[in-house]
Amino acid sequence: MSLANWFGAALMAVVAGLDRTAALQVMISRPLVAAPLTGWLLGAPQSGLLVGSAVELLWLGRLPVGAAIPPDDTQVAVGATTLSVCMGQTLGLHGPGFVLLCVLVALPIGKIGQVFDRLVRNWNNRLIPEAEKALADGRPDWLETLHLQGVGRFALAALATFGTILGGGSLVVWLVAPVLGPWFTLAATPLRITLPLVGIAVVLGTINVNRSWTLFGASFGSALLLLWLV
Amino acid sequence: MDEPRIPKATLATVILRSFLLQGSWNFERMQNLGFVYALVPALRQLFRGEELAAACQRHLVYFNTHPYLASPVLGATLALEEQRSRGEPGVLGVAEFKGMIMAPYAAIGDALFWGGLRPMAAGVALFVAVKGSLWAPAVFLLLFNLPHLWLRCFGLLRGYRLGLGVIEVIQRHRLPDLAVRCKEATVVLLGVLSGFLVYIVCRQQGVAELWGLFLLVPLYLLAALVRKGWSTLLLVFLVTALVLGLSGLAVS
Repeated sequence: MSLANWFGAALMAVVAGLDRTAALQVMISRPLVAAPLTGWLLGAPQSGLLVGSAVELLWLGRLPVGAAIPPDDTQVAVGATTLSVCMGQTLGLHGPGFVLLCVLVALPIGKIGQVFDRLVRNWNNRLIPEAEKALADGRPDWLETLHLQGVGRFALAALATFGTILGGGSLVVWLVAPVLGPWFTLAATPLRITLPLVGIAVVLGTINVNRSWTLFGASFGSALLLLWLV
Repeated sequence: MDEPRIPKATLATVILRSFLLQGSWNFERMQNLGFVYALVPALRQLFRGEELAAACQRHLVYFNTHPYLASPVLGATLALEEQRSRGEPGVLGVAEFKGMIMAPYAAIGDALFWGGLRPMAAGVALFVAVKGSLWAPAVFLLLFNLPHLWLRCFGLLRGYRLGLGVIEVIQRHRLPDLAVRCKEATVVLLGVLSGFLVYIVCRQQGVAELWGLFLLVPLYLLAALVRKGWSTLLLVFLVTALVLGLSGLAVS
């Protein structure tokens, strides 16, 4: 990967990371968007699409309500896509099986994102006394600078999570790919469909709708029967 | 009635700044500094010197709501601040209004946008993604952001125009009901998507498609385990191990 590629991936990690909480929130941070964009920047958009499809639904039911911090699926998506491209080139491994192996490596490491996020939110607590002091000193303009400092801290957290996934993930992929790589290549076809199915089951288990299982079963059966008939 | 004192360009700046509402999110007072950051350009039109500092201080208190539904709150807050700058006695103070409205709006926004619209948009976009089309992210962004951006922009303007009347407008749109409809649509969409995915697996593995109906059982089982509190990560690894094992067996 060239320096421009690394820069592009890091920039994507920061932009998507900010979109998650601190800025915009136009959903660039969703895995289904962030991963294909990262893949496109690195010249492997289909790998990104595969990562996005696999990760999108897994933690969708974990809502950022109040002080709750959901697992950082954004950096998992960006990190797994980058990992699949850079380690793929290093180890000479390619294909959907290897991409899915990278996803499975990035998923547990991505939990660290919650830690960095919590640290930043605690760090931002210190902005409050500074803001009150600025007002007492008759400098309300300083409040805007303090607020933007908070945005900068969220950017740092995003970068730290991305770096951890990439660093830790590279090591793990380097260790396990020679052993598990052939297995994942063998099972690539069912796996690329199984992971979204697990995500769907997770959404079904968390969504708060009356008769959700009946609705789901009816639509599942109807779709399958219709496709069989056609 | 007096003419509005905040120019349209300033309102546009407030709208743009509202996209950074959560920029300094903190556990102590959550969105408070972001709320001030968004309001400051308009407050400068209404107050000067110590009055401006006092206005900022009023908004430095605890505040937390859904970031999208914060727009009507910002707009109505500006209307109340404008009333205050004219020296008119209001029915409700700014702090009381914000305190009263933030929790219900947070609940409505969470249910509608995070719990309803987002999974629905993801479900539709996944259909496109499964077909291997790179339009999937665009479909997701378009479906989600049309209502989102509409609410953010027009919510603020209506809030400013109507003041406290914005509460009634939000009530009239029955957003909680809409959230339930979105969730129901999501369940149906995901059911159809699962049916399609299972059909593909069966075809690729050379199994009669109708056997795929039995895959509903493990799907329900996984959903039940999630409800019982099993970790998503654990389920992902268990299912992956199972698929790897079965694939190995099939080859051997």
